[in-house]
Amino acid sequence: MNNLAYKLETFRDDYTFRNSPDAIRRFPFPFDQDHYMYSVNIEPHKPGAPGSVFEHTFDIDEHYVAECADKALTLAQDKGRYAALPHMMDAQWDFLELTMESLARDYPDQFKLSKEGERWTWTNLPLGIEDSFIFGDASTLPMEPLEYMGRQVQGDFVLLDQREGTLFADAGFITSQADWSLAFDIGMAWHEWHGPVPQVEKMGVMERALKFLLSLQQGSPVRRLNWTMTINPRLDTSPEHYPQWGPDKLKVTAENAGRKAHLRVELQGLFRLPRSNAILFSIRCYLMSLEEMATYPRWIKRFHRVIRDLHPDLLEYKGIKVYHAPLMAWLAPHDDGEELPLGTQPE
Amino acid sequence: MQHGYWIRSKPVYTSLAWQYRAQAHMVLAHGEAGRAVLRLYQQRLPEQPVSVLYLVGDEEADYTASLRALAGDCLLTFTKQEALWAAFNAALASACMGTRLYAAGNEAFLWQVSTLAASHGVLHADIMREQPASLARPVYCVHCKTITPHVTTNIAVCSGCQRHLFVRDHFSRRLGAYMGLMVDAEAPGEVPAAEEIYP
Repeated sequence: MNNLAYKLETFRDDYTFRNSPDAIRRFPFPFDQDHYMYSVNIEPHKPGAPGSVFEHTFDIDEHYVAECADKALTLAQDKGRYAALPHMMDAQWDFLELTMESLARDYPDQFKLSKEGERWTWTNLPLGIEDSFIFGDASTLPMEPLEYMGRQVQGDFVLLDQREGTLFADAGFITSQADWSLAFDIGMAWHEWHGPVPQVEKMGVMERALKFLLSLQQGSPVRRLNWTMTINPRLDTSPEHYPQWGPDKLKVTAENAGRKAHLRVELQGLFRLPRSNAILFSIRCYLMSLEEMATYPRWIKRFHRVIRDLHPDLLEYKGIKVYHAPLMAWLAPHDDGEELPLGTQPE
Repeated sequence: MQHGYWIRSKPVYTSLAWQYRAQAHMVLAHGEAGRAVLRLYQQRLPEQPVSVLYLVGDEEADYTASLRALAGDCLLTFTKQEALWAAFNAALASACMGTRLYAAGNEAFLWQVSTLAASHGVLHADIMREQPASLARPVYCVHCKTITPHVTTNIAVCSGCQRHLFVRDHFSRRLGAYMGLMVDAEAPGEVPAAEEIYP
């Protein structure tokens, strides 16, 4: 995907966001079976098939320019979406280095990075940015390194500091979150910020995931998929702006669910960073309406079964409960009960 | 609105007990929580130096006289929060390794102690905390970022933006507050009756 055509579209107000047929086909559909429950579904973040969302370290797609514009809007409304505790500056430079080097390597027609010693020049052609700066000297950048590159890569980013046998969320750039607050959670330890997630406590999922991550090695990043649902293709489903998007959940009907209800998949990456020993937690959000999903009958049938049988705690936690009935009314006619083989691939 | 699961960021408090393997002991308490310090003094006293910093509360909850009788010159009393925090800050600056910290009070007080101690490198896990009296919660409005002190109900009006907030169990140690989320965001105007569950 080195000759991307970037779409002009919005993630708020008139919601003109749509996926092209190609974007639907490469969508990271997360359900490999008809039932869903949390698991430690972590795998190595190795380059995947060409054209897939796993091909590159950070996936840049047709929504790149529009998503970066949406980030800027959200930050302008609420400065608290970017926050970093003072001891995280080394980790911020780690983040800048990883994102710049990855993008310049994976999309050489779009992004360029040149280095003369500590003097780096970064060129972002899609956004029309070119800056020279001294690596390690934040005063030579227009803003702190995490905010600078957080604005230029799709998705959200959290920098986790490792100490006291756990991970602390001590810096973040969060504009497309599924209902959690950086301003509230910053500085929290692993078990605190995962506190609200239901069912995982008794399953021991968080305990095992933490143990795994504490020994994460440099050069061996890992990834997992997570998912929820969002009404309208909205990136900023934050608790801060809940009064803006909360009412939409009550407007779902059996007629409009196909257009309004979206599967929201997070491609989460975890990278050990070299200077700070921090971990970068990247959260890339993919949205797909049910109408788009239905272009692949295998997906929509499976999705119907997952939602139909989802644990009540998860229905509540993911905010689906209030529109579960109209959602089911839309989904059920798409499912003929055909037995589906295991696997996430489309037809 | 009550979720059927426990939120792990909600702190769990214990009863204060002397940690005898120590170099020194520093106890902080506020108002009614002075009773927790009196209880501490019913345990075998440690051999190391003890200091008690007591912030006097409302008149009906003033344990200064009883504390003076037990702690004697080890007791420092304060009538203003700012004075207490200044004295605590100074004490931390000159404290030795192995100083044990004990705090008793409402949650706003406990986490102010923790935040100040953390600025001197003391880990949250190394402070004993007791919440002997009010369960009242400081509530952070996630929308306007104001902290409303002393909330005793599950739904409360934000002192900053006047929205009705549902008080979640999700707690931030850095802010020393629970998260408040607009209760009628999905259906504006539909505010359930508040119940006093944190008296």
